[in-house]
Amino acid sequence: MPAPIELSSSKKRKSSKNGAPSSKRRAVAEEDGFAETLSTIEKLENQIAESRKYYNNIATLISMLNVDKSAKKPELAVAVSLCRVFSRLIAAGNFVDSSRAAENEKIVVAWLKERALEYQRALMAIMREADTASQVTALTLAMRLVKERITHIPGAEHNIWATLFKDIFEAVVEAQDGQDLQTEFVTKFVKEYEDVRYHFYVQASEYADIRRSSDTLETLISLLSTCDDVPSEDHEFETFFVEPATTNKRMLSVNAHKKRAQEAWLAILRNNLSQAQRKSLLRIMVHTIEPWFSRPELLMDFLTDSYNVGGATSLLALSGLFYLIQHKNLDYPQFYTKLYSLLDADLLHSKHRSRFFRLLNTFLSSTHLPASLVASFIKRLSRLALNAPPSAIVVIVPFMYNLFKSHPTCTFMMHREIRDKELAADIEARGMDDPFDMTELDPLHTNAIESSLWEIETLQSHYHPNVAAIARIISEQFTKQAYNLEDFLDHTYQGMLQGELGTGEKPLRKPPVVEYQIPKRIFTDRMLEEDGGVDSGPGSFMRGLWDFS
Amino acid sequence: MPPSQLKQLKASLKDSGVIAPQQSKKQKRQNAKSGAAAQNRNQRNAALQAIRDRFNPFEIKAPSNRSKFEATTRDSGSKPAPRARPGVTKSLGEERRRATLLQEMNSRNKVGGLVDRRFGENDPTMTPEERAAERFARESQRKMRKESMFNLEDEEEDFQLTHLGQSLDLEGAKLDDFEAGDLGGEESDEESSRKRKRFIDDEEDMDMDMDMDMDFIDHGENENQPERKKSKAEVMKEVIAKSKFYKHERQQAKEDDEDLRDLLDQELPDLFEALRGMKVPGKQPEPVKQDLDAMNPDRAALLQEPEKKDTEREYDQRLKQLTFDKRSQPTDRTKTEEEKVEEEAARLKKLEEDRVRRMRGEQVSDDEEEESDKDSFMQDDEDEEIDDAEAFGLPTQSYQPRPEIAVEDEDDFVIDDDLVETRSNVSLDMGGSDMEEEDLSEEEESESDNEDELINGMTLPSTTASGAASTAVEVNQTAEGKLAFTYPCPSDHASFLETIKGVPTQDIPTVVQRIRALHHPRLQPGNKEKLGRFAEILVEHVSYMANTSELPSFAVIENILRHIHSLAKTHPVNVAMAFRARLREMSNDRPLNLLPGDLAILSGISTIFPTSDHFHSVTTPAYLCMARFLGQCSVNTLSDFVTGAFATSLCLQYQSVAKRYMPEFINYTLNALCNIAPTEPTSEVGFFPSRKSDESVRLAPSKKVTPRKLQFRDIVTSASDSSVQEDLKVSLITLFVSLLDSASDLWSEKSAFVEIFTPVRAVLQHIRQSFKGKAFAAARDPVQTTLDKIDSHLARARLVRRPLLLHNHKPLAIKSAIPKFEEDFNPDKHYDPDRERAESNRLKKEFKRERKGAMRELRKDASFVAREKLREKKERDAEYEKKYKRLVAEIQSEEGRAANDYEREKRGRQGKR
Repeated sequence: MPAPIELSSSKKRKSSKNGAPSSKRRAVAEEDGFAETLSTIEKLENQIAESRKYYNNIATLISMLNVDKSAKKPELAVAVSLCRVFSRLIAAGNFVDSSRAAENEKIVVAWLKERALEYQRALMAIMREADTASQVTALTLAMRLVKERITHIPGAEHNIWATLFKDIFEAVVEAQDGQDLQTEFVTKFVKEYEDVRYHFYVQASEYADIRRSSDTLETLISLLSTCDDVPSEDHEFETFFVEPATTNKRMLSVNAHKKRAQEAWLAILRNNLSQAQRKSLLRIMVHTIEPWFSRPELLMDFLTDSYNVGGATSLLALSGLFYLIQHKNLDYPQFYTKLYSLLDADLLHSKHRSRFFRLLNTFLSSTHLPASLVASFIKRLSRLALNAPPSAIVVIVPFMYNLFKSHPTCTFMMHREIRDKELAADIEARGMDDPFDMTELDPLHTNAIESSLWEIETLQSHYHPNVAAIARIISEQFTKQAYNLEDFLDHTYQGMLQGELGTGEKPLRKPPVVEYQIPKRIFTDRMLEEDGGVDSGPGSFMRGLWDFS
Repeated sequence: MPPSQLKQLKASLKDSGVIAPQQSKKQKRQNAKSGAAAQNRNQRNAALQAIRDRFNPFEIKAPSNRSKFEATTRDSGSKPAPRARPGVTKSLGEERRRATLLQEMNSRNKVGGLVDRRFGENDPTMTPEERAAERFARESQRKMRKESMFNLEDEEEDFQLTHLGQSLDLEGAKLDDFEAGDLGGEESDEESSRKRKRFIDDEEDMDMDMDMDMDFIDHGENENQPERKKSKAEVMKEVIAKSKFYKHERQQAKEDDEDLRDLLDQELPDLFEALRGMKVPGKQPEPVKQDLDAMNPDRAALLQEPEKKDTEREYDQRLKQLTFDKRSQPTDRTKTEEEKVEEEAARLKKLEEDRVRRMRGEQVSDDEEEESDKDSFMQDDEDEEIDDAEAFGLPTQSYQPRPEIAVEDEDDFVIDDDLVETRSNVSLDMGGSDMEEEDLSEEEESESDNEDELINGMTLPSTTASGAASTAVEVNQTAEGKLAFTYPCPSDHASFLETIKGVPTQDIPTVVQRIRALHHPRLQPGNKEKLGRFAEILVEHVSYMANTSELPSFAVIENILRHIHSLAKTHPVNVAMAFRARLREMSNDRPLNLLPGDLAILSGISTIFPTSDHFHSVTTPAYLCMARFLGQCSVNTLSDFVTGAFATSLCLQYQSVAKRYMPEFINYTLNALCNIAPTEPTSEVGFFPSRKSDESVRLAPSKKVTPRKLQFRDIVTSASDSSVQEDLKVSLITLFVSLLDSASDLWSEKSAFVEIFTPVRAVLQHIRQSFKGKAFAAARDPVQTTLDKIDSHLARARLVRRPLLLHNHKPLAIKSAIPKFEEDFNPDKHYDPDRERAESNRLKKEFKRERKGAMRELRKDASFVAREKLREKKERDAEYEKKYKRLVAEIQSEEGRAANDYEREKRGRQGKR
């Protein structure tokens, strides 16, 4: 086979010789070269089909794939034609080496297999490194090979899935700039064919067993999270990439599928996740991950670990944990203590605030909770409200209202008359401290029920009139049964501002009041000497602090 | 057993006095004379009718349902069932139909016809004599009342009653031949005709006396041709001629009398003189008067007219002036100084009270307000899902107009406007308002201050254009000569920029003044709108100025803001909308990094609008803007902190009166202090969310620094020199500390003061700790004083702290389920609380009743028509029958005769044979 090699090498030389020709000439040359290559490829392919003596052409074609040039610019036409060649050969049974065959036959088969392996390796390289279009094409070709081999080579099914498909999977996950490739893989194969999905999960769990870099994990998570259509119990498996052997019962059972997925997810959860990945996993936990689990208690470790991390991660773990508590009867010791500790300075400013309050509402909705515990939550929240944005205060107060309604014992926090004469006299004389202990971690021992909600009373003079109005509900009669918390949850500065300002020019309902005095000075010391040099007019505060010059 | 019908009849006749014992003849006569007889007759007729009705049971319809037992709820029990008399009503209806429907029926399919409208023609009750008399009376009446002297039409159409072709007019009778004594036969007319005749004779005698010859001709004619009848025209001519002659005669006589009287008048003084025996100095003769007197009075009047016209016109003018003149009113007494002061104080007090009311967000007893509130409530009820948050004015989805929680006082605005108007009699604004805020003791100073402002160009624009020009000239005396006198009022910011291109920055206020003076609303009707637009442009310009130039001139910005303020008094909506537009831009484009222009706008808002209001359409969004900025802005560079410091200072300035709590202020200040402090706090200091800056902005622990007053330009310019930066840092710390100091004063009354300021104290203590080094000696003192102050405040707050007593409400009454009782319940009345429904029910009922009535009438009409038709047909048939029978009889008789003849003939022939 010297001739074809020479051909390719001459072409190489040619291209290197024409280092920088004029663009037009190069285009023409490329055009010519392209047509020429196409015809060559066609000729070689036809020859292979004609007779076995041209099998050497396969090697020629493989070398034409340009893989040695770091697979950046593969010859797709060659790849496609090679795929055809191999498909034909596989279909013709040329890859089956029977023991009865002659020695030289065996040699041929072995040689062919070697070439096929070479071709596969080339395809993987393309998938890993080439540009998007080539990646996708290579993926399709590789999958075609998988199909051909499994259908036409008896008994090779397990082997092929374990080797060729594994390679494909790894190539897809590790591909450079592989977003399109991955979506293609997921939408065209994984989501489409159930057997592919099965093996995908098998490969994923195997793959994630080893510690991987966070980028690959990211890809893996995104791949896995896109397949969120969990088969129901009585699901009939019908769409297969390759008709499975009738003996393969596992492919047809829902549980087996789920088990694979569960293993895959567990492998990922066990891997070294970054904090962000942990959060994103927690975010999709209930809706995407959990349904795959036939034994959700396996998630317990991950969730409790996350819950113990603290901060936003804990908040996110809460819903998953709640699911386990609710459905799987998980007994979480010190749950409320932990929950109480989540109420920290950043909670009300976090973007998971509304999510947390929804859950908190669920957790505290039980009327069987001890009053002292509920009171601790109320008092701690009101402390935090002193430093909270208006959108958080707006949630807290109705939430408290609902708690007061369901735990009337706590209403002492709003209204406490001191009957004890001595104590009253003592307070009258010396004032009092807040009995509430903010540093106490156990909500049952904070003494909150002895305290009062001075914080909310202060917030009744909040700068925003609506917030002040909401804070005022605790000092009015509790005639309403309950406030619908959902209405208060998702307010933001932007939303409130928009509510005030509107989106366009809308006439005001009333002409606004204007300050009746025009101040003598705003920024400067204008006519200061008339006031005797003492600046006491409106705005003097700013002028005292700032120098406008 | 009741007596028989006959006996009953007799008894009732006797009772009603129809049958009375016979009266004597004398009595009868008496009765007849006094008219009692007629009265008796009437009474008797009525009584008889009543008796007839009573004794004819078929006349009265028995009530369809027997009356029920009395019950309290039955209203109808009290009054007797109405007596229905079907016979009477039926006959009445029949009568009416005959008069209307039958007429119509008869005249159907007929076109035209004569309608006899002569008086009483169809009245069978009148005798022909009565009719004639009445007609004559009407005719003469119409003659008597002449509607209009110049009505020509009437004259033509007037038709006269005639008798035998002669008019029946009395006037005519008077002058022409009444002597034809054909009426003499009647005795009753005899006397009157005789009288009339005598009257005519007298007149004729007089005529003869007065004017012999004319009369003579007349009479001659009369005598010559006694038998010839004069034609009407001749008679009329005669009459006219005569009347003219008489008139002339009378005038003549009157003139003669006048002359004579004048003569006598002239002689009267002589007579007096003669009587007194003295001589009067020679009197001036009045030749013109004489002349006039001698003249025909008409002509004299004509001659005199011009003068008279003048005087009349003058009089008219005077009269009109007087009527249109306002009645002069007593002027207000000039107020004394004390009174003025008192008034001013009262006004300010009222304004302040209004402000406090707004601050508390109290509802003004405004009907409209309540109504709208109610409306919103109703809407809430109607909604299927009531949004709880909505009730507090929080936007539900994206945007929805918030129900007003706060109230704005409109009255306040009116007063304010008023005030400006009166003030602007003297000067447009600035001087005036300056005077307001002037301390009362410094009244004189403020006067001079006024003058100053006045010269600066804000004079009263006079009503003419020249006035405006003179204003400009006046301005020119103080300002540089190169400024133009007149500027167009810009319609957008770009054109304003065009206008002030080339004008030095410090002259912009002058330009603004001139534009305002030139476009004063009194000068032209459209100017008010123009100035409103101009105010919006100025707002835009403020942020533009602060944004564009590196070192904005705050004197100019201040002046422009003051202009905006004074414009806001007359154009509050425009200015508010402009500020809101700025705020909207801020919140949409750059909520987390405010530009210097935005800060200028925010400080402008703090002076122009009352920041203490519970809700205000400008300040509330401004609060939100600042809070959002403080809560979420980046804290990475030093200039971020400077901007934040400015915003926090503004926050406190906004709250200086209302003293409302701002969590974002505390959060930001503490966080900033923790970030800038030389060392990081080791333990958790508070519950504010800590945000670390990316690059360290910590104060270098070694360098010596001196705090200074921060400058606005620090926001824009960032010093590269490290020592300057360190200075800036330490000044920032001092600023924040002093802000906390003021905040602790502001919020010392809050019940949660301890909770708010315990973290503050922790942070300050940490700062004091880290300021131990010698380098910070200058900055240590303020920290210490603030700490002391906060400590004392904390101690006091702890002392006054009491458990909350928020629910001292009156216990709520359980909802009553007792039915509502109605006094004087009437079952026939409908007590529908829904007025509309009640009304519609009433209308429905009425409609039903009317419909039934109309249907009944129509049915009756139809039966009447059918009956009439049947009657007509019967009549026709009967006539036909009659005619047929007659003809048959005729033929039969003829036949019979012919048969007889035949028989006779036959017999005769037989006889012959």
